[in-house]
Amino acid sequence: MPLSILIWLPAACGVLGAIFALRDKRALGVFALLGSVAALALAISYIVGYSPGTRGLTHVTDVVWISELGIHYKLGIDGLNVMLIGLTTLLFAMATLAANLREWDRPRLFFFHFMLAESAVLGAFLAQDLALFVAFFDLMLIPFYFMTGMWGRGPREERVRATIKLVIYTLVGSLLMLAAAIATGVLASQQNDVPLTFVLSNLQTLPLSRGSQEWIFLFFAAAFLVKMPAFPLHGWMPDGYRTMPIEVLMVFSGVLSKVGAYGFLRIALPLYPQAAAHFQTLMLLIALASILYGSMVAFTQTDARLIAGYSSIAQMGFITLGIFALNSQGAQGALLQMVNHGLVVAPLLFIVALLSRRAGGSEDVREMGGIAFRAPVLAALFLIVALATLAMPGSANFVGEFLILLGVFNAKLAIAIIAFAGVVMASVYALRLFIRAMHNRPGKNVESRDIGLLDRVVLVPVVAVILFFAVYPQLALRRGEDSVKAAVAPAQAALRGPTFAAALGRFETGPVTGTGNGEAAGARP
Amino acid sequence: MSATTYGWLVLLFPLLGMLTIAFGYKAFPGRTAGWIGTGAIFLAFLAALGALLEIQSLSPAHRQVTSSLWNYANTVGVNAQLSILVDPLSVFMILIVSGVSTLIHLYSISYMDKDKGFNRYFAYLNFFVFSMLLLVLAGNFLLLIVGWAFVGAASYLLISFWYRRTTATKAGIKAFVINVVGDVGLVLGTYFIFKHTHTLDFLQTFHVAGQVFTHNEADLVAGCILLLVGAFAKSAQIPLHTWLPDAMEGPTPVSALIHAATMVTAGVYLIARMHVLFELAPIAQDVGAVVGAVTLFVAGTIGLVQTDIKRVIAYSTMSQIGYMIMGVSVGAYAAGLFHLMTHAFFKALLFMAAGSIIGAMGGEQSLNRMGGFRKAMPFTFGCFIIGGLALSGIPPFSGFFSKDEILLVTGELGGWHWALYVMGYIGAFLTAVYTFRMIFRAFYGDPVPEAQELEAGHLHHPEHPTNPATGEIEDTDVGFPGPTHAIAERALPMKVAMCILAVGSVGLGLLQIPNVDFVIDDFLRPSFAGSAVYETHTKDGLLAFGLLLGTVLGLAGIALAWRVWVARVGGRLSPAKLQARWHAVYELLAHKWWFDELIDGLIVRPMATAGRFAAGTFERAVVEGGLIDGTVSVVRAGSAAVRAVQSGLVRYYAAALVLGVAAIGFYFLLQS
Repeated sequence: MPLSILIWLPAACGVLGAIFALRDKRALGVFALLGSVAALALAISYIVGYSPGTRGLTHVTDVVWISELGIHYKLGIDGLNVMLIGLTTLLFAMATLAANLREWDRPRLFFFHFMLAESAVLGAFLAQDLALFVAFFDLMLIPFYFMTGMWGRGPREERVRATIKLVIYTLVGSLLMLAAAIATGVLASQQNDVPLTFVLSNLQTLPLSRGSQEWIFLFFAAAFLVKMPAFPLHGWMPDGYRTMPIEVLMVFSGVLSKVGAYGFLRIALPLYPQAAAHFQTLMLLIALASILYGSMVAFTQTDARLIAGYSSIAQMGFITLGIFALNSQGAQGALLQMVNHGLVVAPLLFIVALLSRRAGGSEDVREMGGIAFRAPVLAALFLIVALATLAMPGSANFVGEFLILLGVFNAKLAIAIIAFAGVVMASVYALRLFIRAMHNRPGKNVESRDIGLLDRVVLVPVVAVILFFAVYPQLALRRGEDSVKAAVAPAQAALRGPTFAAALGRFETGPVTGTGNGEAAGARP
Repeated sequence: MSATTYGWLVLLFPLLGMLTIAFGYKAFPGRTAGWIGTGAIFLAFLAALGALLEIQSLSPAHRQVTSSLWNYANTVGVNAQLSILVDPLSVFMILIVSGVSTLIHLYSISYMDKDKGFNRYFAYLNFFVFSMLLLVLAGNFLLLIVGWAFVGAASYLLISFWYRRTTATKAGIKAFVINVVGDVGLVLGTYFIFKHTHTLDFLQTFHVAGQVFTHNEADLVAGCILLLVGAFAKSAQIPLHTWLPDAMEGPTPVSALIHAATMVTAGVYLIARMHVLFELAPIAQDVGAVVGAVTLFVAGTIGLVQTDIKRVIAYSTMSQIGYMIMGVSVGAYAAGLFHLMTHAFFKALLFMAAGSIIGAMGGEQSLNRMGGFRKAMPFTFGCFIIGGLALSGIPPFSGFFSKDEILLVTGELGGWHWALYVMGYIGAFLTAVYTFRMIFRAFYGDPVPEAQELEAGHLHHPEHPTNPATGEIEDTDVGFPGPTHAIAERALPMKVAMCILAVGSVGLGLLQIPNVDFVIDDFLRPSFAGSAVYETHTKDGLLAFGLLLGTVLGLAGIALAWRVWVARVGGRLSPAKLQARWHAVYELLAHKWWFDELIDGLIVRPMATAGRFAAGTFERAVVEGGLIDGTVSVVRAGSAAVRAVQSGLVRYYAAALVLGVAAIGFYFLLQS
């Protein structure tokens, strides 16, 4: 079945829902739910059908889109994205279900945006053409601007302020990325004297000069790091997290942040390997700063959402760390961790919503406490999610972290050792959140009651998936392995020095813009 | 069935027990869940016996068998499978763990009877036993780490079992975080070793270790010391011990099981399991031995002045594990593990007896308020005496043989190890003093009102239950201790469990008597095949001297305790006088050598301050203020102009996007 069906099915359901559900507003959400569940079923069939030994892309769709510019509408599945589309569809199905449990103002518009977002995210993961990726990347942000601005929490001014921040940050990133994408195509065709093309597999065979690679890489990195977010580019995060409706935030935090990390593996490392090697230390330091800073702030926050938010900065820091270990262990761990982080942060945010309903509407942990009292099932589910969040051994998150840190250990020992501080700190903020919400004496307005049936339907499947991966992470690992190796191989070679790169059929064309310190990574024998 | 099949069954039963109780938590009336939990662990014990028989039927050279279920993380050079290793060492451990756990489950059925969290308690307890068995059966580093962390999580859950007590939740998070520090040590140590061996499997690692590592190679020493960090955190060795005394917030059977008999000995097991690596890194061995010796001494001194009965036993545990860590670090593997076994029995017994007296006090744990229970609780008193004599190393009780064997091996090494030997015997003296101080204070002297009430045939229950640590008023619903308390004299399950442990505390020492019989040595030998130091050559002179010295010191300690706390001859040796005279020392001990304050000042406070600075100042001033507000105001100014023409955010962004694209496209047109 063509991948376009998977991509456009949710958006189509959003449109159909808006058209057909004129009278009964309930039916609207049901349409969206059907679309997202159907997409999930498709994604599962792709995961099951993906045989681990596969080299290159499968299920390829490749049609010329804009022939003058060499832009193709090319989609495909390989080990890098097969688990991520599973994650995307699962979290969107979960969030759509959650969104169905409450009333929305202007529901047709809301569900349309929501479904459009799913389509765009799936497109970004499946795109195999640089221009198409950029298009989907920008398309996926637009519904979130609207959903934050129109359906967000709090007074209008705050919503607008949060939306503006979000727009500015991501727009700056998007524009940089757009420029970088265009430059990649143009320069690749110029430097190699071939017609303009944006298809990723073609671009990989058209090496850029090192000088071009470096600034293009930085543009992409800026866009991806803003999206993740990473310190110090996370300025939009606190307001954005506070404002977004929790159902929207679940997918935003669970899925969209992964597009940035995925972009590194899909685009930045294969296309700009020398630049990736060159900036390895810089990227590792940004990752390290994100881990330490995010963790440290997370354990002083009292807003439960922001604890989740800052913990995400730290977790995404680990993912970046793994990617820029520039070896297969780190990248393999990072890829697994993208799935894992999505799987825990979405239920965590949903639980925050459940908690606030039991604490008189407040999301401040100081107002919570003792909620476990009459809610054993909720407490058990929360505990599983909290322990997975702090990457306790026995969870798939630990396997991811183990591989990431092993990769960094092999690449840069000192950074690995410092990063372990983040592992300890994660246990502090995650348990602190759990204890302050569930244990101790109850807060003023706390009314403990167990999780209701419908909320269980939202939460239990995801927790079941967490538990499944805890006992069998190999399912994800073996699907990713070959593609991950291929993705990091060029950068790994560049890291080992020019002779290796030459052996891989790459050569330096343009002028080397080395400014002394720039020589370190690329020119090391 | 093969030994490994029994091994898997050992894991399966507790897991099933936990799942049954967890999913049926609403359905089980009364004590049903307790019996299910106990039964599950007893089945695990039977399976462990099966594994024992199977492994003994193999020839000694083939007594290390592995089995794996499926690939866990087998990718990019990492080869972790869901595999177990069944050999004499792991069989030895699963027998102790499942055996003692069965008794503690049994005890708990009465002890936790009317607690509103009864079912949850047994689910946690089964989960703990599953984790511990996983830890000792794990066949590779990754699974070991998983078991290691599960044990920590189970311990956390049980420490903060009464979760509405702030003291309990604080103790829980402290234990968890320190255990995570240990996990980190374990993971990092694994990296250092994996870097050279390229395998996570235990047997493969040990097989290639001799070839890939040279003597005292830097990476190996670093790896082993990091493994020791893991061992220290789990086994409450200095400086990672501060969680253990606080962990006494948990229900008393939990203290008996986790914080005395099983979990805290994991570090001892780890060093024994990794002996191949440690023997190649003697520096790491020395570190372990010294830390063990220091811990046994420091913990012994703190035990002298504690007034909470459970904390006295907790410090005693720390001290005894110090002996074991020292033992396995100097190569006295069998002796260390032998002490682990005897300790599991007599320490569990002591905790259970303490639980009984706490029950009689209506939840009160302070020795200051106890006294004169000898007549009211003869059975508990008897158990205390047996446990106390075994702990103090008085012949022929079990602790006598095992402790002296560790010190014997240490002494034989000669050189600076004599210092450890001396420390060990000082510790033995301290042990006898603090143990019998506790017993004499609780059971001798004038009966307190609770004891009188009990003698009159009525078990004391406080009118308003309070938190013994803070005095806060509590109710008896979920998250607080239940409304009733139990004492061994009136609860058959408690009595049965304690009787069995008492028999073990008396008799288990006979399994291995120097120069007489070597049951433990012989049984464990296949796991330590190839180890140069395993075969000890006992010098009769040193042996006799050590046994005599141990006996004399133990008796002297008991005599001193008698003199100070019972005979009360007045004058120089009354507790108050001693405190006044040795004021500085007393302060040091009463403040537990200031370790908590040290860690608080060095790590916790700086981190919290940095976090607050980051959240308060940096985040607001730099990230939001500088970066964002700056940008926002620039855009605002620009957008004001745009708004004059076209109002509304959306159109503005669309326009900006188009303009931006156009500008960049234009730029590249100019460039090309």
